[in-house]
Amino acid sequence: MSVKVSGGGRLAQVLRDGVHSDTRSAVIVVDLDGENSISSLADLTDADIDEMYEQPMQRVIAAIQEAHSTNCERIVVVVPTTGMSGGASYAPQAALAEAARILVKSAARQWGASGITVNAVAVEPHWFSIDTSISGAVAIAPRSLINEVSPVGIVTWLCSEAAGDITGQTIVCDGGLWM
Amino acid sequence: MSARRLESRVAVVTGAGQGVGEGIARRLAQEGATVVVAARRAETGEPVVESIRSAGGQAVCIVTDVSVSESVDACVADTVQQFGRLDVMVHNAFMGGIPHKLEKAQIDKHWTPMSRTGVWASLFCARAAMPHLIASSARSKGEGGGRLILITSPSGVEGSANIPLYSPAKAAQRAIAKSLAREWGEFGITVNCIGPVAGSPALLTAFDRNPALQQAIEARTPLGRVGDITDDIGSVALFLASDDSSFVTGQTIICDGGSFLGL
Repeated sequence: MSVKVSGGGRLAQVLRDGVHSDTRSAVIVVDLDGENSISSLADLTDADIDEMYEQPMQRVIAAIQEAHSTNCERIVVVVPTTGMSGGASYAPQAALAEAARILVKSAARQWGASGITVNAVAVEPHWFSIDTSISGAVAIAPRSLINEVSPVGIVTWLCSEAAGDITGQTIVCDGGLWM
Repeated sequence: MSARRLESRVAVVTGAGQGVGEGIARRLAQEGATVVVAARRAETGEPVVESIRSAGGQAVCIVTDVSVSESVDACVADTVQQFGRLDVMVHNAFMGGIPHKLEKAQIDKHWTPMSRTGVWASLFCARAAMPHLIASSARSKGEGGGRLILITSPSGVEGSANIPLYSPAKAAQRAIAKSLAREWGEFGITVNCIGPVAGSPALLTAFDRNPALQQAIEARTPLGRVGDITDDIGSVALFLASDDSSFVTGQTIICDGGSFLGL
């Protein structure tokens, strides 16, 4: 069996190197780059919206459709927690993250009868170069765990045969930063 | 007789030519707001304006295509030129929602209309209204202030089996509301969402065609009915637009008679 990881950046590479599965699986890392943050909504251009939200979201839709067309049994979409928490200066990126996370639920509802599970893993915003000091509740919430948190373990499990009864869920894997 | 809660306030309501937007426009006008009925077509917007005026309210129609940023900018500029201020921006307009299979969904047909009118337009409305909402908060001196209200859906939280791409568009609006609530808190502007299930013309038509649908929705709803666009949904918008909600921001109020309880 194989795991296909789509998306760029360091997180996608970590998952490519670390995730293995006994099922045919697809892992979709949302193509979100926090380096492109804006200081204020007043500065947001239409081109920014296209670059930060629209084009990456269309790639998520294409990737989840490809996962279905290639008969994947397990689909995992990886997003930052910023979609759930919101983030000052990150409105378009938060929109992308939350749109991708909720797309998972729709897909789970439609494809569950075919035995396909679709889940989301929400990780620390720093994986997407989002400045946690200004990105929302995480700016004031103490992180419960101090170790380096990796999503490889939870993504591997969601891609496994053992996770066949789990679908439409979001697992937050961030060391207890966003609760 | 108590003072009306939005006396002297100016509100723009997009998609107010029918359905939920119309109900919100009527309710805000009942409480004294001057309402701009921002509708894509004057044929739908003007009758709502006439109806509001007949009931003693103040309203004008400004033809607006929310999917075009220049059109939204022009609507806000026209509003401020006519009335000197903008205190409440309600983005309700939305286009799309065609049932589809996710694996066969086409970007142009199934996604773009919803993304453009839901997500892009939320950002357009927020961006255009921002300086005027800041000014509104400055005028209020800590009591009340600028309000941005986005109309989302319970589907934006729970996903949808029938219209799978509808849900992410509505979810994105909630994330925008949370982000802007954080960003604009320093100005005293509140940003919230409403997730309604209401008797819009589209839903009532669907009920006429398929009574079983109405029975199914009412059966799963603890309050046993769908919401009234003015009395039920408009009243929630009134709360969020008024000084009563001054300490409420970044939230989604699901207004659906208790059908969805998973927030």
